Parts: sequence; C-alpha cells; structure tokens
Amino acid sequence: MIAQIEQAAAQIAGIVGWETIRIVVGLVGVLVVVLVNALVLTWAERKVSGHIQRRIGPKEVGPFGLLQPIADTIKLLAKELLTPQNVEKPLYLLAPTLIFVPVLVSFIVIPFDSYLQVKDINVGILVILAFSSLSVLSILIAGLGSNNKYSLIGSLRSVAQNIAYEIPLLLSLLAVVLMAGSLSLKDIVEAQKGLWYVVYQPIAFLVFFVASVAETNRTPFDLPEAESELVAGFHTEYSGMRFALFFLAEYTNMFIVSAMITTFFLGGYGGPILPGFVWFFIKTYLLVFVFLWFRWTFPRVRFDQLLNVSWKLLIPLSLLNLLVTGGILKI
Amino acid sequence: MVTKISEELKASLKGVDTQEASYERNGYHLTAEAQPGNMADVAGFFKDRTFYLEDMCCVDYGDYLELVYFFNKYSELCRVKVILKVEAEKPVAPSISHIYRITHWYEREIHEFFGVYFEGHPKLIYLFLHEGIDHYPLRKKRVPVPAEDKALLNSLSPETEEDAFFVNLGPQHPSTHGVLRVIVKMDGEYILSADPVLGYLHRMHEKMAENRSYLQFLPNPARIDYPGALLLNLAHVTTVEKLCGIEVPERAQYVRTITCELNRIASHLLWFGAFPADLGALTPFLYAFDDREQILDILEDITGSRLTYCYFRFGGLYNDVDDVFVDKTKAFVKRMRERFDVYEKLVTGNVIFVNRAKGTGIFKQADTISYGCTGPFVRSTGIPFDMRKAEPYAVYDQIDFQIPTGTVGDNMDRYNVRMTEMEMSLRIIEQAIAKLPSGPYKAEKVPKKLKPPKGDIYNAVESSRGEAGVYVVSDESDTPYRMRWRVPSYSNLMTFPSLAEGTLIADAIATLGSYDIVVPEIDR
Amino acid sequence: MLNLARANSLWPVTFGLACCAIEMMSTSMARWDIARFGAEVFRPSPRQADLMMVTGTVTRKMAPSLVTLYEQMPSPKWVIAFGNCAISGGPFVFDGQYNVVEGVDQLIPVDVYVPGCPPRPEGLLEGLMTLEEKITGTRRFPKPEQKW
Repeated sequence: MIAQIEQAAAQIAGIVGWETIRIVVGLVGVLVVVLVNALVLTWAERKVSGHIQRRIGPKEVGPFGLLQPIADTIKLLAKELLTPQNVEKPLYLLAPTLIFVPVLVSFIVIPFDSYLQVKDINVGILVILAFSSLSVLSILIAGLGSNNKYSLIGSLRSVAQNIAYEIPLLLSLLAVVLMAGSLSLKDIVEAQKGLWYVVYQPIAFLVFFVASVAETNRTPFDLPEAESELVAGFHTEYSGMRFALFFLAEYTNMFIVSAMITTFFLGGYGGPILPGFVWFFIKTYLLVFVFLWFRWTFPRVRFDQLLNVSWKLLIPLSLLNLLVTGGILKI
Repeated sequence: MVTKISEELKASLKGVDTQEASYERNGYHLTAEAQPGNMADVAGFFKDRTFYLEDMCCVDYGDYLELVYFFNKYSELCRVKVILKVEAEKPVAPSISHIYRITHWYEREIHEFFGVYFEGHPKLIYLFLHEGIDHYPLRKKRVPVPAEDKALLNSLSPETEEDAFFVNLGPQHPSTHGVLRVIVKMDGEYILSADPVLGYLHRMHEKMAENRSYLQFLPNPARIDYPGALLLNLAHVTTVEKLCGIEVPERAQYVRTITCELNRIASHLLWFGAFPADLGALTPFLYAFDDREQILDILEDITGSRLTYCYFRFGGLYNDVDDVFVDKTKAFVKRMRERFDVYEKLVTGNVIFVNRAKGTGIFKQADTISYGCTGPFVRSTGIPFDMRKAEPYAVYDQIDFQIPTGTVGDNMDRYNVRMTEMEMSLRIIEQAIAKLPSGPYKAEKVPKKLKPPKGDIYNAVESSRGEAGVYVVSDESDTPYRMRWRVPSYSNLMTFPSLAEGTLIADAIATLGSYDIVVPEIDR
Repeated sequence: MLNLARANSLWPVTFGLACCAIEMMSTSMARWDIARFGAEVFRPSPRQADLMMVTGTVTRKMAPSLVTLYEQMPSPKWVIAFGNCAISGGPFVFDGQYNVVEGVDQLIPVDVYVPGCPPRPEGLLEGLMTLEEKITGTRRFPKPEQKW
C-alpha cells in the first residue's frame, strides 16, 4: 500500500517535480491548521472569557463544550446567505474571500519546525508582512461595499490604524533582522539557538507586541469593530458563512502574529527535549492566550489616543532601538 | 427666605399673585400665578436668583389648562409653584426655552400630549409619540390633532439635508441602554450635532394613573425605573401618605431606608458594569452583576421579586423583615467593602480607562441651573445637592452620611461620585441596621379605598439617578385627577446634545454611558 | 445533525427593550451563564443572529423598527417573546391605551413565550430549552417532577 503511494508520488514527481508536491501538500496542511486553529480558538476564547468572568463558558455541547465550535460552524454553513439590497455587489462579495487569501499565503513561510515549512524564502519577512497587511484592503472593500455607515467608519478606522502600526512593526523587526543578518525566517530562528532575541531586544519585542495587537484589531485596539460604537464595524452587513470567513481571518491573524512573535523573539521551534513543533505551538498558544486575556480585561482606547501611541511613542522608540542596535553591532 | 422671595416677586413684577402654601400639606412653599404676558419675566426672575426648574407640567381642568412650573434651589429648599392658565380651545403659551434650556423638551412634551402651542419655541416636533396618533392623549376630553399641528409634529426629516453624514444610533444599538435613538450628524469621527429621539418605550404611566386607584398604581413605579424600583415605589407611597396624612411607624421607616439604599447600590452596580462596557471592557459587567445578585437575593427574600419590587404600602410595608434579613444585610455590607478593592484594581486603576474618562464629557457648573439636572450628574460638578439632605424623608435626617462631590464634572468625576456614593450607602445601611427599632411595620387603620382630600402635592425622593418627584392633583375621588412624574434621567439627558457637540463619537458614547440613563424612565 | 447544531448555537441579537432586558443580561452573567448552552454570543448586528428575544414592551413607535430588525435576520430564525408585555401588552393594556402593541405576535411570528413580569432567568433558560426541543425534537434535560 505505502509502496504504491510512494510509487505514484514518484511518478507525479517525475512530471511536476518534488517541489510542487511539497507545496501542494503544504497548502493542504496549512488549510487544515487554519481551520482547526480557528475552531480551537473560538472554543478557547469563549472558555477563557468565561473563566475570566467568573463563569464556566460552554459546557453542555460535548465534553467541556468542545463540540461548540463545530455546532457553530455547521449552523453558520447552513445559514441563509443574505445579500442586502443596497450593497455594491462585486465589492461586497469579494471582500470575505479576499480577507482569507493573504492569511493563507502568510502561512507558507512560517517555520513550524526545522523541517516543517512549506517554503523557506530568503525574503520571508517581507512576504509575511506584505501579505498580512493586505487584509486591511479587504476590510476597506467590505466597508465600502456594504453601503452601511457603521461599516464605512469601521473600515476607515481600520485603514488608519493599520497604516499607523505597520511602521513600528517594521522598524522593530529591522533590529531583529540586523542581529540575525538574514531575512529568512528559518535563519532567524537558527540564530536564536543560544539566547532568544527577547533578551537582546526587549524594546523591539514590546513595540512589536503592541503593534501586532493593533494589527489584529484586538482589544484594546478593536476600534474597527467597536461594538458599543459601531454595532459590528465593517462586518455589520455580513451574515452566515461570509461573516464566518471574517471571523476565521481574525483568529488566523491572531495565530499568525503570535507565530511571528514566537519566531522572531522567542526562539521559534527551538527548545529542549520536546520536538520543535510542539515548542512552537506551546509558545504560540501562550501568546494567543495573552491576546485573549487582553481582550477580556482592557477597555478600548480612543481613536486619537490610538494614533498618538503609534506616532508619538512606538515609532520614536523603535527608531531609537534600531539606532542603538545598529551602533552596537557595528562596534 | 420664602417671604423674601414673595416680596421681591411682588415688587419686581406687577400682576403676579403670590400666596403662601403649607409645605407640610402641599410640598411647596409658595404659589404664584403668572400671566402669558409676564411668564418670561417670571422665569428670568427665578433664573437670576439661581433657581433651577424642577418640573414643568400641564393639568387639564376641562374649561382651561393649567401649566405648572416648579422652581427650586440647590443651596436650600425653597420650592415655588408658578401657574399659568391657558384656554382650552386654542391653548397658546409663551415659550421660556431661551431662559431655561430644559423646557425645550418639556414644552415639546406638553405640546404633543395636550396640544398647547408654545410661541417662540424653535422646534416643536414629536418627541415621544408615534406618527399615527390622532388625538392629544392626556386631555380629559378627546381632542383630535388638527392637520396643521400634525404637519408640525411630523416635521422631523434629517435625511433631507445634503452633504451631511447622518448616523442613527438606535433604537437598536448596543450602547444606548435600551431603545433610545440619537440622530447624530457627523463629520468624520467628530460629531457636529446630536439629537435624541425619545418615546420608543412610552408606556403611558401618567395616563394609566388617571385610570387606576392609588393602590392599583403601586406596581407601576417599579416599571418606570426598573434598576431602582424601590426608590420610585417610595416616591409614590410617600406622596400619597403626605396627601392623606397617614403616619408611618418608625420601624417601617428604617426598613424603607435600608432597602432603598440596598436598591441604590444595586442600581449603581448595574451602571458600574455598563459604563466600562461602553468603553469596551466587558468583564467588570459580570463582576458587578455578581455582587448585584447578592443584593437581589436579600431583597427577593423580603419582597418576593427580583427586579420590579413593590414592597412599600401606604402606611408601612408589605410584610415585616426578620433576623435572616438583618444577618444577610450585615454579611453583604462586609463583603461589598472588600469588593471595592477588586473594582479599584480592575477599573479605577486601569490606565486606558482613566485616559478615556478623564477630561471627557465635561459639564460646567454654570449650566446646571438652566438644565435642572439632579443626582450624581449635578454632584459631579461640585454642587452638593441631594434630596436626602435637602428634603429628608424616611429616616435620613437621623443618619450621618456625606454627599460626595466632584470638581470638574467630567466622566471620571461622575464615576467617582457614584463609587463613593455606594460606600456612603453602605454606611447608611450599617447605621440603620444598628438602630432598627422594634414595633409595628404597618400603620393601622389605613382604608382600603383611599380618598385623599382635594388639593395638590409635589413630593420628591432621591433616586439613584437624581430627583424623582411626583406631582398629584386630587379631586377627592379614589383615582388621581392628574399624576405627573418628574424623572431625573430626562432632565439629565437633555444636556447630551451640548456635551456631544464637537467630540469624537467614542467620547460621546462614553458620556452617554456616564449618564446612567434608564429609557423607560425617560419615556414613562 | 443540522438541527442539533442549530439548537446548540443560538446566537441572540443584542436587543433589550425594557425591564426584562436586565433579566436577559442576568441570564448571561455568572450565576446562570447562558454560555453553557452556546447561546452567549450576543451579536450586535441582526445579520449574524439566529434568535431574537423580544424583552419588553413593544410600542407603536418601536414596531416598525422591530419588524425591520426581524426581517434583517437571515433564516432560519427564531423569536422568544420574553415577559408579559411582549406576550400580550402585559400591565399596560387598558381602555383608551394609545401606544402599546398588545403582543409582539401581532407583528412577527413567535416560537416560545416566556411569561412573567419580568420572568426569572430560569424562565429564559427554560424557554431556551423549549426552543431547542422545538428545533431538534428531543429535550436536553428531563423535565423536573411536579411536586404539587
């Protein structure tokens, strides 16, 4: 049986090359990870929020409420797909798909383990940053296409916020790149074999962390979907599976930024005894937990405060950090 | 004070009849009758002497309508009733909305319920009622709404203005605490103007009162202000007691004080949860509800309901409290003291929260008179005005407590005032529990069918949002001829358009949250 | 299977009208925790909700908005009339009343009625159970024995 599969694989490889198979298998794997991750995170979010708020959260649906996200998914899949009358149809339909693609692509370069990486591109950082900032485009499209005032305000806020926080994000990463001397994610992880960069670069770590919370639109920076102000923000008009795609993208984004922090600052898959990918997931989910923790304890910042934090605090700080790092490395 | 005002009024304004009234009997000190020609001068006279407009209402006497204005002072109790008679056929009265801003809404209300046309009012359109209504509801005889009035009332059409970005907050919106609708004109993130539309929960309490006996109306106050049900229950009960001259035994008074303060804490806790939720933090909500449940347990034991209590009866209580109640209350006071530390850590000490609340939604002390605000809202500006001190009822005069005040009147001050008030309430409960006398809990010989003597009365209590007053006109029958509710949220909310103007929408939402509005109370 | 999933993930729309809304909130708080049944995801936008709880008096001014809101919800959708006011107008019905809709079922189809003024949170949970029973055909918990 196995021999047959190997034979078939070799045959196909002869036609399209091993690399292609590797990428196809990788993409399928990524898709599985994305979906499972979203399921786990919705469950975790509801459970964590429950325990933070002195209650137990989902409990009756399956053991520990574990079947809750599955029930939700099936329900959302079977829900009527409403297209409101006054929307810009092409834009409205495009947005949920568009938000999902860049998140998928970002996964390609993330090293889950020394061998578990779909493709190690030598400009990995650029790929991941470029694609993760694409999602703001689809939020803008969703807001414009919905023809709803709350959506519009929400999406405009989102754009302003993403632009403001993209810069400190990049600047803080530059310090890491300087230290590692490479743009490839794998090289960066390998460079942290001795000591994690969070020790060398605490300021960059903090800046990156704050900026990534803002990039994922999570509390305290969840202005684009500020519930008490804008109903549901940019996805107010979306229902059923289209809404679920936005949700999926949000959770996947959260996972990606946590994975990025793990890779850049916490030594990626490096760790004793346990296999690399276990370490990777432990670190990543710990960070995700911190995100959830934030969400359920902090109030929301105001729009001008949000931008002030970025332009007046994070950017100067990360620039200074970059300067110091560069200076020290040169000497 | 009263005679001085009376003399001054007579001297400065010719044609104003003044008459001293019995405070014990009527709840106000002085009556003055103004004429349409000099109503504006009378209002100006009171404004100059730092009186605030406590209430304005209208009574239909068949052949004429009587507009009733109550003026009072923050610094000392001096309630003056000014009446203005207008004919019933084509009622026209001068508007004083340029002097007292609050009458902007009161006059709109009277216009749609009685058909009184106010000359000089800038915007007489529907505030409460739906567009299909064809008569003036509170008139004694059925008076159809004439076509020109109908056109005037229905003239709200914000969408016709071009180049303006309008957002409708509500009636279904997560942060309006019910079904308030605010039409917001926006420029980007900034608010150019905000215009509340009320009446999505107008449940005709005042009309109902005219159809029911005093006893039958007992459950209604709880539905007017549901977080502070007992406090409004008390307002109704004390008013009728004063009107009929019923003596209340001391034990009942103490129990009333204790339960009212418990209810006040419950109400403040609800607000404490909802305010951070408006700022995006949901968790304090659940913590507050946790403590609120403890109070509800205590109150449920003695009253039988969780939310809409109807515990007080004319002349006393529905039933007596027992030792379990006393023990549970003591335990609660102890527990609540410790919980304040948790709140301090969770909310008050949170940098983001402080940054959001400080310096936003500032309400200046100078404007309080024009708007007639009461409650924590006015206390946050630095005026120590509290009905419990100004006009003590129950046993508040025998208990030592302070009135917390703020300094600048921003959202943070309102937050702090309410938090301190909760601590004060705990102090009141402790003292009252310690002093709780034994004896009857109910006055004897209170007739089943109350027929109060002819006359009117204004009586107010301090609800958790401010001054809740009842004005009752009795015609010797067992139903009130007219019952008017003066509710605090209404006059407080009136300030929202001016506070929201020019602020960010996020701040406006926070400010709206800091009001602690209860929509059924506003709409009645 | 599909019905089971639907019954276990009833997302209500954030829609509180009056006094009963407080009891609805209480139900989602620590003591009753409606989250146990997967129904704590209060969606502010009707487009993403499955369940509308009409908690309180519906006035004639509110009625058009309520119907719009109901129509904005994607099917399958359910309605719980929570409290006496939503069921029949409750205490606010009298001769000459001019502003209250006497029962929300005059406007939209109602699946479950929960009586009370206001109903206790247990009442809402029982209403939710009844609704789940209506969807799936089986009851989650056995009915308590009647003791009187």
